[in-house]
Amino acid sequence: MVPLSYYLVLSGILFACGVLGFLIKRNIITIFMSIELMLNGVNLSFVAFAAQWHALSGQVFVFFVMVVAAAESAVGLAIIIAVYRTRQTLNVDQINLLKL
Amino acid sequence: MRSPASTMSYLELLKLALPEVIVVISALVVLAIGLTGRQRTAVAGVSSAKPPTKAAGTAAAATDWCSLAAALGVGIAIAAVLMLPRNASLFSGMLVITPLTSLFKIICLVLAFFTVCLARSEKSLRHPGEYLTIILLATVGLMLLVGSEELLMIFIGLELLGLSLYVMAAFDKTDVRSAEAGLKYFLFGSTSSAFTLFGISLIYGMSGSTGLAAISEKLVAAPAQPLLATGIIMTLIGFAFKIAAAPFHLWAPDAYQGAPIPSAAFIASGSKVASFVVLGKIVLVGFGPVHGSSAWHAMAAGWSPILAALAALSILIGNLVALAQTNVRRLLAYSAVAHAGYTLLGLVAGGRDGFSATLFYATVYAITLVGAFGVVAVVRSETGGDDVKNFSGLAARAPLLAGCMAIFMFSLAGIPPLAGFFGKFYLFSAALRAGGDHGLLWLVGLALFGSFVSLYYYLIVLKAIFVDQPSASAPPRDHVSSDLLQRRAVAALAGIVLLLGIMPDILAARILAAMS
Repeated sequence: MVPLSYYLVLSGILFACGVLGFLIKRNIITIFMSIELMLNGVNLSFVAFAAQWHALSGQVFVFFVMVVAAAESAVGLAIIIAVYRTRQTLNVDQINLLKL
Repeated sequence: MRSPASTMSYLELLKLALPEVIVVISALVVLAIGLTGRQRTAVAGVSSAKPPTKAAGTAAAATDWCSLAAALGVGIAIAAVLMLPRNASLFSGMLVITPLTSLFKIICLVLAFFTVCLARSEKSLRHPGEYLTIILLATVGLMLLVGSEELLMIFIGLELLGLSLYVMAAFDKTDVRSAEAGLKYFLFGSTSSAFTLFGISLIYGMSGSTGLAAISEKLVAAPAQPLLATGIIMTLIGFAFKIAAAPFHLWAPDAYQGAPIPSAAFIASGSKVASFVVLGKIVLVGFGPVHGSSAWHAMAAGWSPILAALAALSILIGNLVALAQTNVRRLLAYSAVAHAGYTLLGLVAGGRDGFSATLFYATVYAITLVGAFGVVAVVRSETGGDDVKNFSGLAARAPLLAGCMAIFMFSLAGIPPLAGFFGKFYLFSAALRAGGDHGLLWLVGLALFGSFVSLYYYLIVLKAIFVDQPSASAPPRDHVSSDLLQRRAVAALAGIVLLLGIMPDILAARILAAMS
C-alpha cells in the first residue's frame, strides 16, 4: 500500500503548481486553470485522508468540491466572456482601468 | 456511520431550515416575475406605436413588482426566524440554531432588505429581476454560513455567497469597470476559497472530523504538529481574503469601486458580518485549544499571533493608503481594510467579551457602510461620478443626505455619541482586559493611532460636502430626483446608527445574552 505521505506530497505539489501559475501567468484562462489545479490538489488530500481514517466524510467532501468547482467555472467563464467583450483582451496586465 | 440519532428527518429539516427555504422560494418568484415582465416589455416594444414610453413603463412596473416580492420574501423570512425554536442542532452541527445564529440571521436579512432598497433605485441594472434573485441567493449563503458549525456546510455557504457576489460585482454589462471588478473579485475569491479548502483538508486529516466541536476535542489531545499548523494558517489566509485584511486586501478597492453600488454595499456589509461570525466560530470553537498568545511579553504560537499580525498590518496599510484616495468608494474600501483590522482585535482578545465586541462592531460597521453607499449612489446618479469632488456642495443641494453622510462618516471615525464609538470602545476595552497585564496594549495603541489618522480622510469627504462650492457640473439646487425610497432607506440607516450610538445596549446586550 502506498503510504499516506506520498499522497500528501503530491497534493502539496499540485497545490503549489496552482499557486505558482496563479502568480506568474498572465492569461486569464491559464490563471483560471491554475485555480482548478489547486482544487484538485485539495481533492487528492481529502481522499487520501478519508482512506486513512476509513471514513466516508472526506470522500463526500470531494463530491461537494467537484460540484462547486463546476459552478465556479460556469460563473468564472461568464465573467471572462464579459471582460473579453468589453476589452478585447485576455491579458491581465491590460485589464487595469481600476488603479490607485 | 448510521445511528438512530443521525437518521434523516426531512420534516424536521424543513422546519428548521424554513427561513432559508422561504428566501430561496422568493428568489425563484422574483426571477419568474422578472422574466414575465421582460417578455411583456419585448412584446410592447414590438407592437405598440409609441414603444419607448410604454415599454419603459412596463419595465419600471416589473422592477417594482420584483423589488416588492424580494422585500416581502425577506420580511417573511425574518418572521420565520423569529418562530424557530431557541436551540436545535441537526446532523452533528450542520444546521445549528441558537439565539446567536437567529439574531445574526435576522441581521443578515435586514442588510439584504436595505440592499434590495438600493437595488430598486439603481438605474443601470438592465435585468433587475435576475439581480434581485442573486441578492436573495447570496442572502441564503449568509444564513447558511451563520447557522452552521460544520466545515462542509461552512464551505458550501462560503461558495454560495462567493459565487453570487462575483456575479453581482460583474452585473453591469454596460460598464467596463464592472466586468473588471467582477473578474478581480472572482480570481482572488476563488483562490482564497482554494486556500481555505486546503486548510480544511489538513485539519480534517489531523482530526478525522469536520465538525467544529469534534475538531476542538481532537486538538486538546493531540500535540502541535506541522501539518496542523499549516492547515490552520491556510484556513486563516482564506478568511483574511474574505474579510479583506491586509496583505490579502488587494481585491477590495477594485471591487468596491467598479461593482454596481448595491453589490458593493452588500459585499462590504453582509459578506463581512457573516465572515466574522464564521471566523469567530472557527477560531474560538474549533481551534480553541491552540489559541496561543499575542501579548507582547509572552508571545506563544497559535492562531492569535497570526490574527494579531493581520490586524496590525490592516490598520496601518488601510489607514495610510486611504489618505491618498480621491474616489469615495475607493476610500471606503481602504477604510474597510482598516476596520477589518479593528474588528479582528476582539477575536485576538478571545472569550465571550471579545467575540461579542467583534460581532457588535461588524454589525454596526455593516449598517453604516450600506448607508454610506446609499449616499454615494444618490450622488452618482445626480452628478455622474463618485469622486470626492462630486460631493462638493451636497449640503446645499440635499441637506438631509449631507446630514446622513456626516453621521456615517463620524460613526466610522468613532466619534461619540454614534454607534461606531461604542463599537470601538467595546473592542478596545475587551482587548485591554484580555491577555493579562495589558499584554495587548501594543495592538490597542496602534488601533487608536489608526483611528486618529482615519479622522483626517473622513473629514476630507465632509469638507467637500459642507464647505466646498458645488462644481459646475452639479445639478441645480431645485433638482430633486424622484427617488424617495433610496433617500428614506439612507435616512432609516442613519437613524439606526444614531439610535445604536445613544442606546448601544439594545444590540450589545442582546448579543451577549445570545452567547450565554
